[in-house]
Amino acid sequence: MTPSDRLRRVVRSELFKLRTTSAWWQFSGAMVLTTLVLAIVGGVNARTALKPFAEYVQIRTHGRFHGATVPPEFLSRLRGDWVSGHSAVTQAVTLYSANQLIGLLLVCLLGIVLVTTEFAQRTATSTFLITPRRGTVVAGKLITAVMLAVVAWFVTTLISLTSGVLFLHGAGHGTQLGYWGVDRSVLLNLVAYILWAIFGIGFGALIRNQLVATVSATILYLVGAGAAGALFDLLNSYVLSATWVLGLQVIAPAVASQVMISPTSLFTGSPPQWVGAAVLIAYSALFIGLGLRRLRRSDIG
Amino acid sequence: MATEHRIVVDDLTKRYGDVVAVDQLSFSVEPGRVTGFLGPNGAGKTTTMRMVLGLVQPTSGRATIGGRSYLEIDEPTQVVGAVLEASSAHRGRTGHNHLRAACIAAGLPMTRADEVLDLVGLAAAADRQFRGYSLGMRQRLGIATAMLGDPGVLILDEPANGLDPEGIRWMRELLRGLAHQGRTVLVSSHLLTEMQALADNVVIVANGSLVRQGSVAEVVASMSHAARVEVRTPEPERLTELLVRAGGVVETGPTLIVAGLTEQAVGDAAFTAGIPLHRLATQQADLEEVFLELTHGKAGIR
Repeated sequence: MTPSDRLRRVVRSELFKLRTTSAWWQFSGAMVLTTLVLAIVGGVNARTALKPFAEYVQIRTHGRFHGATVPPEFLSRLRGDWVSGHSAVTQAVTLYSANQLIGLLLVCLLGIVLVTTEFAQRTATSTFLITPRRGTVVAGKLITAVMLAVVAWFVTTLISLTSGVLFLHGAGHGTQLGYWGVDRSVLLNLVAYILWAIFGIGFGALIRNQLVATVSATILYLVGAGAAGALFDLLNSYVLSATWVLGLQVIAPAVASQVMISPTSLFTGSPPQWVGAAVLIAYSALFIGLGLRRLRRSDIG
Repeated sequence: MATEHRIVVDDLTKRYGDVVAVDQLSFSVEPGRVTGFLGPNGAGKTTTMRMVLGLVQPTSGRATIGGRSYLEIDEPTQVVGAVLEASSAHRGRTGHNHLRAACIAAGLPMTRADEVLDLVGLAAAADRQFRGYSLGMRQRLGIATAMLGDPGVLILDEPANGLDPEGIRWMRELLRGLAHQGRTVLVSSHLLTEMQALADNVVIVANGSLVRQGSVAEVVASMSHAARVEVRTPEPERLTELLVRAGGVVETGPTLIVAGLTEQAVGDAAFTAGIPLHRLATQQADLEEVFLELTHGKAGIR
C-alpha cells in the first residue's frame, strides 16, 4: 500500500466521520446563517456609504441635527468616514468578502474540532490503531479541513456575491466585478479560508483540550485584532513614534488576514497584502509543525 | 499461522518520570491458544498492551508481532485486532457508522461492518447512537471493531468488564473459538476464576515485572502449596504426631491439612500405624490462590 492510498483512506474516513455526526449541519448552518446576516448588514452599510455626503450625514445622525448645524468635529469625522467608504470598489470588496468575518473563525474551529474530537470522544486509540502513522492521520485531517474550507468559501462567497451584486447594482454602482482589485480580494479570501483551516488543525494538535482550544482560538480571533491595534497604538504614542510600529499589528492573525485580502489600506502604516499572507502562512506552518511534533512524541491513552 | 502471529515482548521498559510502569518485561504469546495476562491493578498490563500496539512508546526494549513492530505492519487491522477501552466511539455516531468509518480508514469493504455486527450479536442495535449503548454493548462493539480485518492476533484489555454472566460466557466461547482457529489471543483480566475457565496459558506480572509464565496447569502446580492433603481421622493427635515426624507440616482442626507430604505418603503412614482414615484427598490450588501468593505485597498504587 502506498502512502497516498493510506492518505486517501484517512481523508475519506474523516469526511464520512464528519457526515455521520451532527457536526456537519451545525457548522454549515452556522456558516450560511452568519453569512446571510453579514451580507444584509454589509449591504445596508454599503448603501449608506455610497449616498451623497448630505444624505450620508442625515442617515448617520438619524436626522437629529435637522435644521441645526452639526458640530464641526463630528462633521469632519463623518467626512473622513464617508471619503474612505465612498468608493464602489471598497464597498464591493467589503460586500463580496462579508462571509469572511465569521467564516474564517468557523473553518478554524472546524480544523480544531477535527483534531480535538479524537481526544474529547476518546476515539484517538481506535484511529491510531487503524492508521498507526500519526503524520498520515494529521495530513489526512489537514487535507479534509482544506477541502471543507474550499467548499465553505465557495458556498458563502456565492451568498455574499449574490447579495452584494443585488445591493450594488440596485444602488446604481454596477457590480465592480472584473476589476482586478475586487476579483483578487475574493480569491485571496479563499486563501484566507484555507490558511485558517490549516491554522485550526495545528492549533488543535497543539492544544488537545477541545474546550480550551476552541475558546482560546475564538478569543484570539475576535479580540486579537482590536487588542493588537490598541497595543501598537500605545507603543506608537508612548514608546516609539513611527508608522512602521503601527504596521506591526499585522502580527495578529486576524489583522493579517484582513490585510491580505484588502486592496486598499486598512490603517495607517498598513503593510502590503503579501505581508498579511506571509504572516498567516508562517503561523499555519508553525502550529502544524509544533502540533505534529507533540502528537508524534506523546502516548495515546 | 505459527510464527507469523507470535507476540514477543522483549526487555520492554516504560518509565513515566520516576515511576517505572513496566520494568524489563519479556514474554511471548503463542498462536492457537488463549493467553491470560494477569496482574494486580497498576501492574503495567495496559501500558504493555499499548506498547505492543504502538500507542505508547517504550523507554527501551521492543515488542513485535510476527517479527515486526506494530508500526511496521503494512495493513495492521488485518493482522491485529485490539479492544482497549469500551468507550471509544463518538457518542453521537451510530455503531454501524462507527464500523463503516473504520472500514473506510482500513481499506476494507463496507460489508465487513454488517458481518462483524452479526458476529457479536449487535445487529439489532446497529443504528442506535453510541451514547445509548450499555457497557456490555460497548464491549461487543469494541470486539466487532477488532474483528473487522479478520486478524490472526487479538489483544483485549479487560473485555469482560461490564458484561453480564451470559455475556461473559459468550465472550469465553468466542475467544476460545478464535484460538481454536489458530489465532493468537492475549486477554488481560482481573477475574481469576474466569481466566481459569478461559485461558490455556498465563503471563503474570506485578510491579511491571514478570512473575510467572506458562500453562495454567504448570503455573498452579509450580506453587509450594500445590499439593496439600486433607485428612479426616478419629485420632487426629496421633496422626499429627506421626506426620510431623515424617516431615509434614500440619494445620489442625476438624480436618487436618497437611503440606509437604503426598496423599500416598499420608495414607501409607496411617495404615502402618493402624490409624483409621475417613477422608484422604489432595487439595488442588486454584489460579486465584496462586495469583495472590505470587503477587502478594506487590499490589497497590505506585
